[in-house]
Amino acid sequence: MIDFRPVLQIIGWILCLLALSMTVPAAIDAMAGSGQWMAFIASAGITLVAGLGLVLGTRTDNRKPLSIRQAYLAAGLGWLVPCLFAALPFSLSSLDLSASDAFFEATSGITTTGSTVLSGLDTLAPGLLLWRGLLQWLGGIGIIVMALAVLPVLNIGGMQMFRVEVVSARERTAPRAARIGSTLISVYVGLTALLALALWAAGMGRFDAITHAMSTIATGGFSNYDRSMAHFDSATMDLIVFVGMILGGMPFLLFFTLAQGDWRRVLRDQQVHWYLGLMALGSIAITLWLIDVRHFQPLTALRHAAFTVASVMTGTGLVTLDYSDWAGMPVAILFFLTFVGGCAGSTAAGIKVFRFQLLFANAVVQIRQLLRPHAVMVPSFNNKPIPKDVLTSVMGFIFVYALAFATLSMMLAVLGLDFVTALSASASAISNVGPGLGDLIGPGGTFAPLPDLAKILLAGGMLFGRLEMFILLVVFVPSFWRD
Amino acid sequence: MSSPPWVAGMNLWTATRNRANSRADSRGEARLIDFRPVIFVNGILLIVLAAAMAVPAAVDWLYDDKDWQVFVMAGLVTLLAGLAMVLGARPEGRPELTTRQAFLLTTSAWVFMAAFGALPFTFSALKVSYTDSFFEAMSGLTTTGSTILAGLDTMPHGILLWRAILHWLGGIGIIVMAVAILPILRIGGMQLFKMESSDKTDKVKPRTSQVASGIVMVYVVLTILCGVLLWLAGMTPFEAVCHAMATLSTGGFSTSDASAGHWNSAWIHWILTIFMAIGGATFVLFISPWRRGRWAILTDSQIRWYLHFLIFFTIVLTLWQWAVNDWSPGDALTHSAFNVVSVVTTTGFASTDYSLWGGLPQVIFFYLTFIGGCTGSTSGGVKIFRWEVLFAMAGVHLKRLLHPHGVFVIDFNRQRISDAVVDSVLGFVVMYFLTFAVFALALTMTGMDFISSITGSATALSNVGPGLGDVIGPAGNFKPVPDLAKWLLSFEMMLGRLELFTVLVLFSRSFWRG
Repeated sequence: MIDFRPVLQIIGWILCLLALSMTVPAAIDAMAGSGQWMAFIASAGITLVAGLGLVLGTRTDNRKPLSIRQAYLAAGLGWLVPCLFAALPFSLSSLDLSASDAFFEATSGITTTGSTVLSGLDTLAPGLLLWRGLLQWLGGIGIIVMALAVLPVLNIGGMQMFRVEVVSARERTAPRAARIGSTLISVYVGLTALLALALWAAGMGRFDAITHAMSTIATGGFSNYDRSMAHFDSATMDLIVFVGMILGGMPFLLFFTLAQGDWRRVLRDQQVHWYLGLMALGSIAITLWLIDVRHFQPLTALRHAAFTVASVMTGTGLVTLDYSDWAGMPVAILFFLTFVGGCAGSTAAGIKVFRFQLLFANAVVQIRQLLRPHAVMVPSFNNKPIPKDVLTSVMGFIFVYALAFATLSMMLAVLGLDFVTALSASASAISNVGPGLGDLIGPGGTFAPLPDLAKILLAGGMLFGRLEMFILLVVFVPSFWRD
Repeated sequence: MSSPPWVAGMNLWTATRNRANSRADSRGEARLIDFRPVIFVNGILLIVLAAAMAVPAAVDWLYDDKDWQVFVMAGLVTLLAGLAMVLGARPEGRPELTTRQAFLLTTSAWVFMAAFGALPFTFSALKVSYTDSFFEAMSGLTTTGSTILAGLDTMPHGILLWRAILHWLGGIGIIVMAVAILPILRIGGMQLFKMESSDKTDKVKPRTSQVASGIVMVYVVLTILCGVLLWLAGMTPFEAVCHAMATLSTGGFSTSDASAGHWNSAWIHWILTIFMAIGGATFVLFISPWRRGRWAILTDSQIRWYLHFLIFFTIVLTLWQWAVNDWSPGDALTHSAFNVVSVVTTTGFASTDYSLWGGLPQVIFFYLTFIGGCTGSTSGGVKIFRWEVLFAMAGVHLKRLLHPHGVFVIDFNRQRISDAVVDSVLGFVVMYFLTFAVFALALTMTGMDFISSITGSATALSNVGPGLGDVIGPAGNFKPVPDLAKWLLSFEMMLGRLELFTVLVLFSRSFWRG
């Protein structure tokens, strides 16, 4: 039998943290004089009581590290439970959101998806807007920590390629991991502050600058305005957010390498090459299309195309231009890029660039092998050979990804959604992008008109994608519960 | 008396090659590929094709249609080309193919056959461009069933029969290839289906000819059976023959614009359904009972998955049609079964326009396009066997997460699958979806809309036939598609039919360097 106590203790601590962060929007609302602060204080109280209850109720004396099973449970519940509590402010506030809507919005925030059921954002109380930004920002930290510390150890979907190797024998592992962790979090905080300052300098209001910076670096996509970035209509701001999104989709471990002064290794990283290369290709194709078909000025076309491609590929979902009326090629490019996603160990979601690189390397080796059946050839990534079990992990991952995408879209279609909406909503949720395609849930619409069950399914899909599938799947294996 | 130009050309080529080879030998490099056996076999295939053109010529002549001249002319051109290739490239002794030559042969054979199979369409009174003709012929030979022709109901019989014959020949070609060539070339995990009798060297020997001829017999007998049953169920003899040929080869060309929906008879639909399902099953298994003394079809895991899969989605769609669209249960079952089997076996007949069924059926039919039938059948797609391996792979990953140091193996038909096979399958599936995405993007660049491009790419790669949407859906055809897109789609059909790697390997530098 699994010992649940350490797991529940961790969740308790996370909830306490969440309760603490609820006081920030409460304070903002109280200062702005809107009556919403009551909702936040009430939610914070409930969350704190639950959190403290868990922490105190499960105190144990033994300080053993978590077993594999406990780690899975902690990772899975550590995302699910905060989503439930983070929904409280939405349902307690004067917005009168139904339970499923509030859960959808909170999950969309914490998983940094950015799909929303809210409209009329421009007149919303500042506390709620900040809360949406905060959720994404906290979710972003959670993902980076998980991608660095948890996933590689658990061997999820080929992430074992990114185990932080101990460079020299002099350094002990534990202090090093702690140092990496603290460096990354300060990089994250620093980048957010930098972005916010830049946006403020470019002319955004202070409040807008902070929430948009949080939403950008977490590749989330919640904006304070219904028209998203198009509200500001400023090329400078678009450029700042564009850079921020690209940074958010980079492997954060590289920032640590960079902090150590090893910039050559950063330049040589193949994953970053592919990531930027794909993004450039997509941007160029769409730019040309915009110039040719929509008769945009070249610079305007480049601005919107590059922003949209970066936004979709990193799974952010901020919009400078309503692309729902685009047809043909750009739609296909955006649809496929949804699946590609950012780099491993970033706040972006999707299948991740490195998995495609591993599989592509393997497929190329297969072609060569056809001609020389007896030669021994090993595919490599970043000049390191790819171990056999990593390839099966990656393929297993992608297969489950595709299966989840197909199953979710079929379930959505059963609920009455049309072909494009079902397909793109499913892709957008599992890849944590945000807006889908089509009239209903495209960049101009919201998810509010969908049936309640569809919203809950989509929220489940977001968690599933954010947790890299297998953390949730493992729990359903019977032998997980047996010894 | 000078020799004919092709013989002179061949001699020149032989001399050049010999010089290059002796140069390569002296430097210790690999030799160039000897093209002669490849050209020789292609010539023989063209002669067969020319002979096949005599059939529609005779039929047109019987029906007193002027079109018979078209076929005679196309037949003569093909025959001449074939004879020239055979005579010019006649190898000494029994031809033995190396791996490289086998790769080159499989791809070039399909290109040549399609190029000459297109002639009757170009020559005929239909006024079709060569692009369209080539598309139609490639679609026929790869048993895809996408068509650029409309007004089939009033078309001369010869052309209709020719389309069916292309399917049928393509069907034989693909089975023989899947049994005799792909396993030895180790394409996409097919080495698992290597005949016990075939040796393990790189030489492709005609050892498997016995199995192949047995399979061809089964194919012919089943076609005749299907034709007779269709005739009894109410088709005219001509329609019955055409449909039998298009069904067993899982092709999908019909003699009517409304496809199978032209006949409002549940009997005809069910006969077609059953024979399509047979066409998507592994053909070797039909002759194995005589060889091993047990009815292998019932124990084969691939066939089981295949049937379960078909039944599951038939039930889902039947329920949808019954509950949402208010069809009678009988109609819903007939049409669901027909269209599910048609898409999964990559036939592409339509008994009704299923793109009007609503959201869920559209989504399901889109995904079904990729599934495909069993290995060693006439169907296209990724194939059930590979999905089984992928499933097992995901399961192994899941188990390994809990037991990081455990050793897990993947079984198929109670046999352990080697790592090499798993790797090939993996490479195949990755390439499959990559090809799908690349071609879908390329199609959008020719100006096609999103749904047409996505489903068009999927349907060509999997050799299904119709796509979704207004233009290329079950009720439409490929006529309005831009010319460039037709060439792309033709190429993609061939890629899908030859299991990708057979063609892709020709693009690797080391293939030509040695």
